[in-house]
Amino acid sequence: MIIRTWIVLVVFIVVTQVALATETGLPFGIRAYSATPAPRFQLQNMDGESIDLQTLRDNWVFVHFWASWCGPCRLEMPAIEKLSQIITYDKLPIVMVNVAEDEDTVFSFLAEVTPTLDSFMDTDGQAIEAWKPRGLPATYLVDPAGNIRYQALGGREWHQLEYTDFIKRVMRKKHE
Amino acid sequence: MKQQWQIVHSIHTAISKYLAAILLSTYCLLIQGCFLQQEPLQIDIQPRTPEQMSAFYEARGFPQAMIDALETTCYMTVHIKNTSQDVLWLDLSLWRFTIGDISLKRFHRNEWLQRWKEMDIPLRFQSTFRWTLIPELLDYQPGEEEGGNIILKRTQEPITLHAVFPIGQDKQGKAHTVKIDNLRCAENLP
Repeated sequence: MIIRTWIVLVVFIVVTQVALATETGLPFGIRAYSATPAPRFQLQNMDGESIDLQTLRDNWVFVHFWASWCGPCRLEMPAIEKLSQIITYDKLPIVMVNVAEDEDTVFSFLAEVTPTLDSFMDTDGQAIEAWKPRGLPATYLVDPAGNIRYQALGGREWHQLEYTDFIKRVMRKKHE
Repeated sequence: MKQQWQIVHSIHTAISKYLAAILLSTYCLLIQGCFLQQEPLQIDIQPRTPEQMSAFYEARGFPQAMIDALETTCYMTVHIKNTSQDVLWLDLSLWRFTIGDISLKRFHRNEWLQRWKEMDIPLRFQSTFRWTLIPELLDYQPGEEEGGNIILKRTQEPITLHAVFPIGQDKQGKAHTVKIDNLRCAENLP
């Protein structure tokens, strides 16, 4: 009897969650914005390779600010790594930006937590100041015209179907 | 018999929920910090010792002058979760820390910004420092949780927090008030 009650309860929760997600079109923890131009940045990674956000126009871009001292960043990072395997860079460039840490710290952190991800270095912390996120970690989805369209509230399980489906749905908007 | 069992079961469930609510509602004192669960929010306040705080910044290569300045203050790490379906506003200008009836100074992030500029602290350290502070103003969306440090003038007296949280996208709802007694600045272990 108790088991049956639990099953009914779990099914109810799942169904209502799906219904809510479908109703708003957004997974939990994702906030939509009216088109706001993404602040431009030009940063380098630890190999000295540069990135200019503007050169990634025509694609949706996943911009992620993080720091090694931020606990939720550490928890979220493996999910981003898995997302990068599900939706490849040519379809969704993932631009990781470390906030104001030195190369040794970033290198050892990434090697330990997400060996396949690379990060660009906001060495003086001025890029993030322009973006003004709510906190760390901070993730944005930038549309092909260079506008911020979505922001994640805190860390999210990006590899879960709820989020990968959402991102794929969003990416199709490019062709609408 | 079945009906009796159902009655016993529902009483058991009600008692369990009640006990869980009491356990989760608030605990303070034991570790000098406090966890409070009270619709529409959860708030967790943990005082940090000067050694904990220094170790964090030293590990990130902060200049000693910066650490010296911070070491004399009272650090509290605050974590807030909006457990409601409405927008909950964190507005630190509506928070008051008191010792008895006397206000205790909270250092605004702009005061530090000014101080670091005067001390010519490199931008990267200023940036990291800022991100370790809780925002002055933030509209917590339903289910959102964010945290950070609050810095007070150091005292050995028990501190009371009076906090007001406006509710609703345009702050049109009835504000939620929280009062937490007996917070204390953490001291280094002897």
